[in-house]
Amino acid sequence: MAGLELRNVAKNYGTVSVIEGINLSIEDGEFVALVGPSGCGKSTILRMIAGLEDISSGEVAIGNEVVNDLTPRERNIAMVFQSYALYPHMNVYRNMAFNLELAGKPKAEIDSRVRQAAQMLELEPLLDRKPSQLSGGQRQRVAMGRAVVRDPSVFLFDEPLSNLDAKLRVQMRSEIKALHKKVGVTSVYVTHDQVEAMTLADRVVVLNRGVIQQEGSPMELYRQPANLFVAGFIGSPAMNFFEATVTGNTARTAGGEVFTFEPGPKVADGQKVSVGIRPEHLQLGAYGIAGQVSFVEPTGGQTFVTVDVSGLPVVVTVNGEEVVTPGDSVNIMANPRQTYIFDGRTGERVSLN
Amino acid sequence: MTDTATNPIDAAKAQTPGRSLRFGTKAYLYTCLIIFAAVVVIPLVTTALGGFKTLGDLRGNAFGLPSTWMVSNYADILFSQRYWLQMGNSLLIAGLTVFLTLAFAAMAAFTFAHVKFFGSQFLLNYFLIGLMFPAATAILPLFIRIRDLGLLDTYWGVVLPQVAFGLGMSILLFRNYFRSLPTELFDAAFVDGAGYLRFFWHISLPLSRPIIATVGIISFVGSWNSYILPLIMLNSESKYPWPLGIMVYRGEFSTDWQLILAFITLTILPTVIVFFAAQKHIIAGLTAGAVK
Amino acid sequence: MTETVAAPGLSAGTALARPKVRRARIRGKWPVLVLFLPPALLLFTVFVILPMGEAAWYSFYNWNGYGLPTQWIGWKNYELIFRQGAFRNALVNNGLIILVSICIQVPLALWLATMVTKHIKGATFFRLIFFLPYVLADVAAGMIWRFVYDGEFGLVANIYHMMGLNAPFWLADKNAAFSAVLGVIVWKYFGFHMMLFIAGLQAIDKSVLEAADIDGATGWQKFRQVTLPLLGSTVRLSVFFAVIGSLQLFDMIMPLTGGGPSNSTQTLVTFLYSFGVMRMQVGFGSAVGVVLFVICVTLAFSYKRIFMKND
Repeated sequence: MAGLELRNVAKNYGTVSVIEGINLSIEDGEFVALVGPSGCGKSTILRMIAGLEDISSGEVAIGNEVVNDLTPRERNIAMVFQSYALYPHMNVYRNMAFNLELAGKPKAEIDSRVRQAAQMLELEPLLDRKPSQLSGGQRQRVAMGRAVVRDPSVFLFDEPLSNLDAKLRVQMRSEIKALHKKVGVTSVYVTHDQVEAMTLADRVVVLNRGVIQQEGSPMELYRQPANLFVAGFIGSPAMNFFEATVTGNTARTAGGEVFTFEPGPKVADGQKVSVGIRPEHLQLGAYGIAGQVSFVEPTGGQTFVTVDVSGLPVVVTVNGEEVVTPGDSVNIMANPRQTYIFDGRTGERVSLN
Repeated sequence: MTDTATNPIDAAKAQTPGRSLRFGTKAYLYTCLIIFAAVVVIPLVTTALGGFKTLGDLRGNAFGLPSTWMVSNYADILFSQRYWLQMGNSLLIAGLTVFLTLAFAAMAAFTFAHVKFFGSQFLLNYFLIGLMFPAATAILPLFIRIRDLGLLDTYWGVVLPQVAFGLGMSILLFRNYFRSLPTELFDAAFVDGAGYLRFFWHISLPLSRPIIATVGIISFVGSWNSYILPLIMLNSESKYPWPLGIMVYRGEFSTDWQLILAFITLTILPTVIVFFAAQKHIIAGLTAGAVK
Repeated sequence: MTETVAAPGLSAGTALARPKVRRARIRGKWPVLVLFLPPALLLFTVFVILPMGEAAWYSFYNWNGYGLPTQWIGWKNYELIFRQGAFRNALVNNGLIILVSICIQVPLALWLATMVTKHIKGATFFRLIFFLPYVLADVAAGMIWRFVYDGEFGLVANIYHMMGLNAPFWLADKNAAFSAVLGVIVWKYFGFHMMLFIAGLQAIDKSVLEAADIDGATGWQKFRQVTLPLLGSTVRLSVFFAVIGSLQLFDMIMPLTGGGPSNSTQTLVTFLYSFGVMRMQVGFGSAVGVVLFVICVTLAFSYKRIFMKND
């Protein structure tokens, strides 16, 4: 077991830069999720850590050793692939034993370690099967088993749950979490699904276009998004945004809507900003911003109401018991403490919260 | 084979070439590849160059450039009637073969793929027997049949057996392709009131361009290069395709290697040019028959 | 009144329309069968199946092809075949071709395929070059190599001359000729097998190989334990084509040696040509054809049964 450190790691294909100088330090035993939209470079980072991809510049260190020039097999890492990448011609047992065999471990040790891992993941009845005879969830488990069995310094997960159906995904998510608690190995988890990242990780790193946007605990990202991108990416349904101009502690949109907020030090009158408010922080009430309900999406416990405000769709989360119908005239109320203001040019958050 | 990852994959992942190779590995790879490429290319290049040499030059200097460029070796052939006649014969035979193979195989395959009728599986297997043995096994009875039909020394005497022996593979390829088209198309067309004939003409065929290309390439290359059938079926030199012509030419100029080399070069030139121009299609076509 | 009469008529019409719709689904079935199937069926029967059957029939006659076969000689043609030294040479040679294909050509093709599927500049170019001989006609390839092997003007001769030695005529030497022919076969066909392997290699999920990297496999272990087992079906396919190809080999032998010297380079098909067709021994030649047919079918069937049952 060991920590992991990326120092100024960059990746480019010819003149196209994919990753721009990432700095990230992961403590021993920590579970970190890299999250971002498709093409943000998160998988590339993972593959550079694994040694499957060249590092254009910068350093990757596992423990205290710089591993840039080491091949994957010299890095003592384990990886769970999106496609699972099980060896189709080997049965479950050999899939898990393969690494230990290559390392020249004695047969008895291999056997006991494979069986132990199989027991932990409830794979014992499947040991003789070939991957083609397994369901998606079972393959996923074998892929994890293959990783656990070898006692690596770092676990790498590359969107391991994205090929599973929704129900199984939730189940495997909790199993991964339980597994991490049990073995406590430093883990890096790549996903495009923010819910997965938030529920699993001790620390979430949000990436966009090869740049770290923000890192922090799940709740930090939710409560204090550093910029427009993180604010829009974290949370579901996504945050509502309004273009506005600042006067004192208020921001006024072109349509005349006025939002009150708690200004930080970087706010000036006349500044062009984006106002961001999460759907769950808006309420339908007697007064506030006027609009008309354009459609209603009940999900059971909650209902997502889309309100047309001066031609702009605004999503409001309300209690599932509330009766709202399209065409209703409503008023929306926002709490100033939960109203985020982002600089119109840089996208940086300038409100206090 | 294991999984089909249908989910959106990270865009960056799709284009990653992985780790670049070490210098030593690269040097090793290039050395091996160049050596083998040389083994392939040197006979071809020396053949082409040899056509420009004098016989004496060839004896002492088969590898180098010609000491005097005997362009006349090539020019004489290019200005001769026989070269063009042979090329024309080959083209005609191959063209007819391709056309008939495509037409007959596509039609037969269509019935196997879409029309349910008694004995269809049996008939398909019947055609697949053709995959089991080469034309050579029945070459003598074939010769007698062609003779009795009065087709000896005609293009048809070569074309018809070539088509017949190509049918097994072609029907198989067409049928598998037709079957891979979505069945909804079939249902939709029938709901729209189309019959089998219209379905074949307006839907199956227009969608079949890739497989038409594949089967067409296989049968064209096969016919263009074929030797044994024309050898047995054709008597008059005026009807010879080029592989026969090359042998006759060699017989006439038995030791004038420079002329023979020029002749070989000119006869394989069309193949080489077409190969490099349409390499993707040709490689796909010629390996498709094997892989599918 | 007229309306009420018409109404049942109409409803009967719509009731009838149902089976009619169903019939519409198979409309044109018979025209299609009658139009589409016969051309292929006729051609195939007349030029493939019947000749094969006739070959079996003729093989029991001594017949020069004119008139009707009347001189029934039983199994004599077959006895004659197996008594011919040239036929035994042909059998051995076909066996040698298969052996060389399996032991040299297929591994070579696989090795080159692994190299040209790496991410290096010019990989596509090398693939093209390696595939080029396969596209050339057998006759042309045979002719080119006849020049290469020529003892006076050829490339081999030039190499010997450069070293100040007298050049051998390999193709005229009955001990060396067939080895020379085998060389040409490998040269001509390895590219095809390489393409099969390229297709096979590309079908392997790349992440499986990466998983092997991470599991600590060296390059060789990765090849031996992951790539090769996953290529199993391609290897079997490649060998299958080598076997079938060997049994058909004719076009290339003719310009190279014509089966000589002293029948040392005969293959089954050149034997059939020289002893059946050239001498117009229809009965004998047909018998050779039947033997070839039996060998082809037996090899193809048993190979598929034994090795390719899961592919």
